[in-house]
Amino acid sequence: MIKGVLIRQRGKMLLIAFTIALGASLATSMINVMLDVGDKVAQELKTYGANIVVKPQDSTLLADIYDVEDGGEAIASAYLNEDEVGRIKTIFWAFNIVDFSPFITSSVSLPSGAEATAVGTWFNHHLDLPTGESLDAGVVSLRSWWDILEGAWIDEQNPEDAHTVMVGTLLAQQEGLHAGDTLKLTGKAAVEEVTVAGIFDAGGDEDMEIYAPLDMVQRLSDTEGKIASIEVSALTTPDNDLARRAAQNPRALSSKDYETWYCTAYVSAICYQITEVITGSVASAVRQVADSEGAILDKTQLLMILITALSLIGSALGISNLVTASVMERSQEIGLLKAIGAHDRAITGVFMAEILLTALVGGVAGYFMGFGFAQLIGHSVFSSAIEMKPLVIPVVAVLITLVTVAGSMPAIRMVLRLDPAEVLHGSKA
Amino acid sequence: MTRRKMFLRMITASLLRRRSRMLVALLSIGIGATILSGLVTIYYDVPRQMGAQFRSYGANMILVPEEGSMTEEQAQQALESIPAAQVIGAAPYRYVNVQMVRSQLSFVAAGTDFTQVQATSPYFSVEGSYPSGVRQVLLGKEIAQTIGAKLNSVIEITYRPSEASASGGKAAPGATLVGSAEGFSTYPVYVTYTLDQDMKISNLTVNVDTQTAEYGGRCADELYLKRFLGRDYPFTGDESTDVLSGATITSKAIMEAIAGAEVTENVTAATGNTMSMQVTGILDTGGKEESYIFMSLDDMAALTGQPQVYDVMEMSVSASAEELDSFKTAIEERHLGITPRLVKRITNSETAVLSKLQALVFLVTAVVLVLTMICVSTTMMAVVTERRKEIGLRKALGASDDSIRVEFLGEGMFLGALGGILGSLLGFGFAQIVSVNVFGSSITFQPLLLPLTIVVSMLISALSCLWPIKRAVQIDPALVLKGE
Repeated sequence: MIKGVLIRQRGKMLLIAFTIALGASLATSMINVMLDVGDKVAQELKTYGANIVVKPQDSTLLADIYDVEDGGEAIASAYLNEDEVGRIKTIFWAFNIVDFSPFITSSVSLPSGAEATAVGTWFNHHLDLPTGESLDAGVVSLRSWWDILEGAWIDEQNPEDAHTVMVGTLLAQQEGLHAGDTLKLTGKAAVEEVTVAGIFDAGGDEDMEIYAPLDMVQRLSDTEGKIASIEVSALTTPDNDLARRAAQNPRALSSKDYETWYCTAYVSAICYQITEVITGSVASAVRQVADSEGAILDKTQLLMILITALSLIGSALGISNLVTASVMERSQEIGLLKAIGAHDRAITGVFMAEILLTALVGGVAGYFMGFGFAQLIGHSVFSSAIEMKPLVIPVVAVLITLVTVAGSMPAIRMVLRLDPAEVLHGSKA
Repeated sequence: MTRRKMFLRMITASLLRRRSRMLVALLSIGIGATILSGLVTIYYDVPRQMGAQFRSYGANMILVPEEGSMTEEQAQQALESIPAAQVIGAAPYRYVNVQMVRSQLSFVAAGTDFTQVQATSPYFSVEGSYPSGVRQVLLGKEIAQTIGAKLNSVIEITYRPSEASASGGKAAPGATLVGSAEGFSTYPVYVTYTLDQDMKISNLTVNVDTQTAEYGGRCADELYLKRFLGRDYPFTGDESTDVLSGATITSKAIMEAIAGAEVTENVTAATGNTMSMQVTGILDTGGKEESYIFMSLDDMAALTGQPQVYDVMEMSVSASAEELDSFKTAIEERHLGITPRLVKRITNSETAVLSKLQALVFLVTAVVLVLTMICVSTTMMAVVTERRKEIGLRKALGASDDSIRVEFLGEGMFLGALGGILGSLLGFGFAQIVSVNVFGSSITFQPLLLPLTIVVSMLISALSCLWPIKRAVQIDPALVLKGE
């Protein structure tokens, strides 16, 4: 009987299945996008640069306070060890560490006699980790807002670039430097003959500085194997009350809270874990980046949740509306079934079976359509796939079943209550 | 009865008589229109609202004087080039080097307007509160740790015009010497003393605020310090200046500091202005601000004895990258002696992320709209298909195909218009809820959206009626009426 209906009423059933498929695809794609949007946007926000800075515990006096009085000789006497930098990638939240780079600064004199700050760092340093992973870390991605006006970034994996530097645009103007020029840098401990690989415009204080490979600045200032700070860019969860309490003093938390905090990607938890692996270090959140990121992520997620809710309500109403209409339309059939003696329950069963079968077909088709839509959004907006969470399948299934049942039951009840004679006569619909 | 009257009567009668079916159709169009107007409103408002959120990253434009410093008037004139509504905050800064009286350490002091700072740098995390009265400072966390200052402690700051604070002078009678050394758990201790006529140590003071009060703190005691007075310069320790029991590390550090002290200036050259200030807040930013002392511009003027001038003006402007560029050019063209600079890190990143977010909302809106519209039209199709019998009857009574089409289309469009109006209102309500919940501000009503929503709903309902009507009209009325 059900089969008969499905085949005879092909057109109408197809229409219902199609609508349900649309609703299901909408639900699938929106829920998936909503669940993934946090990660995706967090990845985008990485363009703002590092959100964690690691410094030696003892350097409570920043070099820039003393620049004024002592002519640029950094007071920070304590350093971190360069060979420990890779350990950042071995902490509990290693997967969330997007990028990092060590820094050391030294003042050098240029051929013209002028003094400049030379910043030694990694550009695209290749690291092989004890975990077997390997990655490229450095300022090329950590300073994504820099414009390279002339030349190109230093390529550390190219041995020819070992004696090259990048010069800030203001300093280059002042000294009349261009990409390809050679110049002599005189440091505290050594003299280096270098080539200008590129001129950058950073729109900040860096425009007056020289960026050079880490080992070169270490040689210039006689600080081999030492670094002054590490900048880390990590994907974090926006801070909440627990994170704020933990930031004050992790030891004051109860052991359960401590565990929750330690195992959540709060910026304070990641800082704490970095401090654990790097000897004599203090890791602190760069509030300008970390706090803003949290605010923006929260807002984006909330926005997506509300849009998803609207589209879910919309498609639910749309589907139940159509199902109701299709039942009402078949009131004559119901009347006929009643007239030849069918029980109410039997009629309801047959109708529900029909509609649910249609919904199943529509729902499965809709899931795959939704998959497509989600990937379309992922690729065109973020150029990466949206992760399809298996959790979404039961959620959509329950949603569609509820909506179809809620849409058809009242309609079937209403028609059943009518007098079969009247319905068949067609005077009342 | 004219034709038109009859037409209207037929439509209204049909709508009224078949209330439940029409309600289904109206509801479906209404839902579609709600989603349309709601999402489009959000789509238009998101860049503005999100842009405001991105301002929490801080200043995206700074004004620097071409040379020297700028006056308040100059800065005001530059600000006029930007519409006031778009300026979220404009915080002036004046930087000078100051010295702590007790420790003789030099720091950078920044004079600013704290109300504006809270607008331009919302990420400042202050323990305690921003200064609100005179002689109050906001202390960077690093300085607080270095000098051992706490909330509500009072610090003394000296400002000397730059030429008077030359260091590394020659030790001569009357010279002041300062020294420091690492004490307990590497926290520094500071000493200050002067040389008398016979080059002997006098007026010795020590700062051991960073040490534990019960142990190292006792080294500040005069009885202990007395043993150093009258000693020869350069100082070398002997048995009589032995360590203080219970404060071994600190007292050793003090001896080291006295021995290593250097001349800061000749007493006769000291023309500094000293002020005592109360620490009302400690600033934690994770950035270089942690090593500054912030105070109000009035206090700064009082300390330096100079009129209120600015070294830099940080501005947070809610605008796109192009707009910012045009503001920059506008300020440059006025030749005020001020150079505007964009904070590249903020502006570039903001443009990149915002355009992604906008693309996201656009695509989501597009997908939801397309799917919803198809949903609406399937419902409309079902509603019209159901009325094939009525069409058959009309045809049997002699109605022309055209009149039937016109009537049904008219009905559909009437429903469309009604649903559109309903939907625009509901949609605006929805967008308002989203905006208030997510961004905490109300949304601007887009007047253009009302006619757009109505026209689109009418179009969709008319289009989705077309096909079933066409089918119904083609069929032989006898067959339709028989119910085949």
